[in-house]
Amino acid sequence: MTSLTRRAFLKSSVAASAAATVGLPVSKAVLAQAKTAEAGWAWDKAVCRFCGTGCGIQVATAGGKIVATKGDPAAPVNRGLNCIKGYFNGKILYGADRLTQPLMRMKDGKFDKKGPFVPVSWQAAFDEMERQFRKAYAEKGPAGVAIIGSGQYTIQEGYVAAKLMKAGFRSNNIDPNARHCMASAVAAFLQVFGIDEPANVYDDIELADSVVLWGANMAEAHPILWSRITDRRLAAKSTKVVNITTYRNMSSDLADLEIVIAPSGDLAVQNYLARELLARNAVNWDFVKKHCIFATGPTDIGYGMRPTSKFAYDAEKDIQAKELENTLDEAEAIGQRRKAGEKVAQKSRASAGAHWQITLEEFKRGLEPYTLDYAAKVAKGDPDEPMEAFKAKLVALADLYADMKRNTMSFWTMGFNQHQRGVWVNEQNYMIHLLLGKHGTPGNGAFSLTGQPSACGTAREVGTFAHRLPADMVVNNPKHREITEKGWKLPPKTLNPKPGSDIMGILRDLEDGGVKFLWVQVTNPFQSSPNANHWLKAAREMDNFIVVADCYPTLSGKVADLVLPAAMIYEKWGAYGNAERRTQMWRQQVEAPGEAKTDVWMMLEFAKRFRLADVWGEKPLPGLKDPAFPEGRLPDVLAAAKAMGYSPEQNLYEVLFATPENRKVAWPDPVAKGHGNATVKALGESWFVEKALFEEYAQFGRGHHHDLAPFDLYFRDDVRGLRWPVVDGKETKYRFVEGQDPYVKAGEGFNFYGGAFKAIPTGTLDGVTDPKPVPLPGKAKIFFRPYAAPVEQPDKDYDLWLCTGRILEHWHTGSMTRRVPELNRAAPSAVLYMHPKDAEKRGLKRNDTAWIESRRGKIRMVVDTKGRNQMPRGSVFAAFFDESLLVNKLVLDAVDPISRETDFKKCAVRVTKA
Amino acid sequence: MGQGGERRKFLAHAVQGVAAAACGGVAWNALLVQQVHAVPFALRPPGALAERDFAAACVKCGACVVACPYGTLRLAPAATGIPLGTPHFVAREEPCRLCPDIPCAKACPTGALDREMKDINASRMGLAVIDAENCLSWNGLRCEVCYRVCPLSGKAITIDPHPRKLSKHAVFVPVVHSEACTGCGLCERACPTAVASVRIVQPSLVQGHVGEHFRMSWKPEAAPVEASPEPPPSAPKPAPAPPGKPGNAPGLDYFNSGSPP
Amino acid sequence: MSAPARPVRHFEMPGTFAGRLHARRYLLARRLVQALVLVAFFGTAHWGWKVAGQPLLAGNLSAAKFAGAVPLADPFAVLQVLFTRHALAGEALLGAAIVLAVYFLLGGRVFCAWVCPMNAVTDAARWVRLRLAVRDVFAIPPGVRYAVLGLALVLSAVAGVAAFEWVSPIAMLHREIVYGAGLGLTSLAGVFLFDAFVLRHGWCGHLCPLGAFWAVVGRGAQVRVAFDDASCTRCGDCLKACPEPRVLHFNEAARAGMVASGECTNCAACVAVCPESSLRLALRAAIPTPPTPTSAPAATGTPTEGTTP
Repeated sequence: MTSLTRRAFLKSSVAASAAATVGLPVSKAVLAQAKTAEAGWAWDKAVCRFCGTGCGIQVATAGGKIVATKGDPAAPVNRGLNCIKGYFNGKILYGADRLTQPLMRMKDGKFDKKGPFVPVSWQAAFDEMERQFRKAYAEKGPAGVAIIGSGQYTIQEGYVAAKLMKAGFRSNNIDPNARHCMASAVAAFLQVFGIDEPANVYDDIELADSVVLWGANMAEAHPILWSRITDRRLAAKSTKVVNITTYRNMSSDLADLEIVIAPSGDLAVQNYLARELLARNAVNWDFVKKHCIFATGPTDIGYGMRPTSKFAYDAEKDIQAKELENTLDEAEAIGQRRKAGEKVAQKSRASAGAHWQITLEEFKRGLEPYTLDYAAKVAKGDPDEPMEAFKAKLVALADLYADMKRNTMSFWTMGFNQHQRGVWVNEQNYMIHLLLGKHGTPGNGAFSLTGQPSACGTAREVGTFAHRLPADMVVNNPKHREITEKGWKLPPKTLNPKPGSDIMGILRDLEDGGVKFLWVQVTNPFQSSPNANHWLKAAREMDNFIVVADCYPTLSGKVADLVLPAAMIYEKWGAYGNAERRTQMWRQQVEAPGEAKTDVWMMLEFAKRFRLADVWGEKPLPGLKDPAFPEGRLPDVLAAAKAMGYSPEQNLYEVLFATPENRKVAWPDPVAKGHGNATVKALGESWFVEKALFEEYAQFGRGHHHDLAPFDLYFRDDVRGLRWPVVDGKETKYRFVEGQDPYVKAGEGFNFYGGAFKAIPTGTLDGVTDPKPVPLPGKAKIFFRPYAAPVEQPDKDYDLWLCTGRILEHWHTGSMTRRVPELNRAAPSAVLYMHPKDAEKRGLKRNDTAWIESRRGKIRMVVDTKGRNQMPRGSVFAAFFDESLLVNKLVLDAVDPISRETDFKKCAVRVTKA
Repeated sequence: MGQGGERRKFLAHAVQGVAAAACGGVAWNALLVQQVHAVPFALRPPGALAERDFAAACVKCGACVVACPYGTLRLAPAATGIPLGTPHFVAREEPCRLCPDIPCAKACPTGALDREMKDINASRMGLAVIDAENCLSWNGLRCEVCYRVCPLSGKAITIDPHPRKLSKHAVFVPVVHSEACTGCGLCERACPTAVASVRIVQPSLVQGHVGEHFRMSWKPEAAPVEASPEPPPSAPKPAPAPPGKPGNAPGLDYFNSGSPP
Repeated sequence: MSAPARPVRHFEMPGTFAGRLHARRYLLARRLVQALVLVAFFGTAHWGWKVAGQPLLAGNLSAAKFAGAVPLADPFAVLQVLFTRHALAGEALLGAAIVLAVYFLLGGRVFCAWVCPMNAVTDAARWVRLRLAVRDVFAIPPGVRYAVLGLALVLSAVAGVAAFEWVSPIAMLHREIVYGAGLGLTSLAGVFLFDAFVLRHGWCGHLCPLGAFWAVVGRGAQVRVAFDDASCTRCGDCLKACPEPRVLHFNEAARAGMVASGECTNCAACVAVCPESSLRLALRAAIPTPPTPTSAPAATGTPTEGTTP
């Protein structure tokens, strides 16, 4: 003991003394030995697998295994740090149950939907896939097949998937899980600026005086960015952090001002702020007049639910009926200048995204009802908070925004995006920043964060959405189709002009039999999508064929018919784009285990099985109404294809991917520095698939505001990702701003050059008065968007709000993080956070088990009344990472009618003692 | 041999007997003392008396083990450094879940666990101690798992953000507060480092004690350190006034010793 | 007495299964009771056995609770704790009182023969010893256990812990079985080897202070082995069967009409082998006091230790 005690004395802190008393000190000899062992390690730069922050890491490999990772000290985002998930990047590949073989449901040696999973060869897997695809394609045409993709696709994967579906199979039924995540942000970017993605960068954190979080628990969901915000708050005492949220979370720990709002209260609060800015004349009129116009849109747009009750459970029918007709409650009526109790037919469901220009006077008229009293009444989220205290907080928030001397950054994530009026609430935030003239300049801006590593880089930029084409183009724009067809060397009218089903649409299509073939890639939609009971049943009981490519067994795989073992991030070449437009690439570091293959290889192999004659003939497309197309059909383009030099016998691999140009990009390539390429190896080819496809894709954006750098540049030793547009090898920090953005000419000051929705009609708050589109080059739009009540609200049967979300320890559905024993131990299962009084009222206390029931389902969870989330009375929170506690069985599948993004943040439940 | 011989024989027998008993007793006693005085690394169930009292009162019946609904408690096996058969738990494997109704303590027949304890949060099973050298959060990673799993987070563990010197990030430093930490071990269980960087230890092994003669004026009047197994050092009594004897007057020894330099 | 006039018959193991079963009825009953006690503890600890919604028998032989209501405690353990001058919870005292009362009635050392898990070990050691005709390595007086008992109490006071509880091989074995907590096999092996190869009845008969404690308690036991001197032929089979042969002092037994010593464990091994049915388990009150004091024939004086066939 004596020696231990003495050693303990030598240490300065209590903390260190514990190490000495309980652990063995590492001897110099042992350290030296470790150093020698590490001498054989090869380090290479890569990217963190998890959230949209985009932390740089370094990966060490030895003996074909990843032996260690470290935060990349040179990465400007994280400077060597990681969160607790990032700390385990090296371990996620090595879970005990990695999938290594294709598995198919079989009976008597044949595929059978009711059979058990049996290991099969790739050949057998592809044979059955092809058979099932052809069956669905023949029966239903391009609308009968679908891919659910991901914001975790590498750029190349997303590009291959989009091109294969849109150009090859002529189907727009490809949609990423990013639809659940930031589609609302996208739609708002396009409606306000005409072009997607933020104008600002993370570096603005260090310049901000006010940081306002709107529905973003950055402390848990963007841990490293939160670390930067915290540092800013510590370094500059005048910095103020505001957390606007529906419950107290870990971000509140730092906040100078915490505002607990009711669900959808953000719509009222932001209008109050705008009204206040106008009243205080805190508007940058010079900026507004030069660079902005005012706009609004319809309010009777529905809630993105099904218009029919055919598939609804009995309990669901009352809410579902509101899709077609809603009765205004008092708050909504005041906010929309109508009468309470008025029945409103939801007539603009199909044209929810329409909008028109209004005057400043109309804009002001729209804001008029949003007084402090009104906003406070609608938005106060904690029943135990006195009204006057809440009002004082709103005034304090207005004071911060109105202070022209303060640099102001607003951040949001899922609180805004997963919202029945997600586009509106995004646009309201731009409204505030544009009125202030504080957008896209150092330290000032409205910043939409993303949750996935390549939500921006792939899902958005590449366009793996049902309505998108690369570089912000859309399928229902003839010009965009033309550009894309030219770029892809397709005959005219190959591309399908009708937007496909979004992710909820695909799941609903499965239930109603519309989609018969589904390929799920890099995501777990049957766990992550709302109202899960419907889709789980549809997957198993309807006549369909579901393929899930994944690295681990997931719930989606469990309800699938064929499971394909996929390579993980460092087992393939790839590129991700983070939330600040930073594109980062990595080399393949190790080989995938067993027969696991890259998603790119799977798609290319599948493409080989289809000839042009199979896909470019005339195809039925029910519901297609386009002046340039025959009604309900996609035309036969084979003749045109022949004229272009194609043969109907050529397969899609040759025509779309292994083109003569792409074959010129040779593998091996010096940029690989000896690293392997699993895709090329498995194909048995000698062209550098990932590089060729990246360069092909990049052509769409270069010169069109989306310039990506040459492939090789991203691998230069001194590069840690580059923020696009990258013009002449120089990245862009601030978009739309003179002197920063290469697309803004001298003297312009600002130029919101985005091209989408830049010619719109004119009207009033109540509708269009002049349908003639007026062009608005270079302008940003300041939208008036009113308050709208959530379609499902707590009532006497279901008396609590339910919000779902993420926690720091686990990522999304936990398919990777739950394979790390340490993370699993740190957060073994999801719990139901609720207010102690709400628990007490139901005879519950901490650690008791409760039933949570909504109109859609019922699950059991353990109750927690304190900890990371502290709920106001009337609200509960449950994370969705836990497969055994499928929170999404409870969640309402209402979506924003403009963006089609699900609202995971509010539905009504009841909780009873189990 | 006569009566004297008989007496001598009896005496000899008696001495033999006493000596044998003494031999056995000394050896037995040594064994006991060794165990009883060993530094207790064991984490005891909530409400356990101070280790010496606990050692005296516990009859190792395992009633607390049976009562624990989480299978946390176990009786100590041999060669663990923990007195054989006494109830304890290993936080890294299964920590105490702090049942509000404290079934383990209620089950104790002898009172080795405080059967009257009402507030589980008042239990002091040990003290969480963080190894700052290896703690991920102390090094800037966004972990703070210990803070989030702590049933008294915000009291027993708080996060004290500091600027990081190496970059413009903050370091979210978890700090344990002994006045609130129950030693339940949920943090040690959850710590994601390969070997836990937060451990529950006996406070006496790590906790210092500021001298009674000084108060840190910037701290609120701190509650006295609880559950110190050692009696707090009593304030030194002022030296008694020197008696009238001139030979004892303070300073004389010095003044009269040797010759001035 | 007229006994010697009768021919001496010896016990013979019956040839039939039923007969053998009958001959071993007490042994089987004891094993059954021992096993039931263990299983009740084990089932409560591991399988959550309940009675009336409460744990069936939670704890172990040191202290336990039956049906969540009736506290039970080893009075010797409690006594040691009291010697440590630690204030005990009332439950333990009540439990000790209940157990004390039960064994006071049944015979203190009923614990040794019918409950203590070490009993099976020492019985096995005895069996081996007989088979191999092992001789004692040394002899110590059986009274040593009383010295150990005294020492346990003194040391409890000196060391401040329940001295015997901390080293008791019985507790170790029992904890091992119920909780799997350490050194049980070591203690089992130690006692077995000691009994089998070092000293006959070495542990239970010479050293165990718990047995000594119960022997003291058991003096007033109400269940006793009644002795019918009239039918006894002094064949000595009982002495061979008895784990504590000292207690079968024919003269004293004849005088009292029963085996009066507290050291008798009521194991009934003697009853099972008595060819004349001179021995039987009976309530003390129902045992008639012999009319006149008898003097024992010289040939059947105090039996000696180590009598082997």
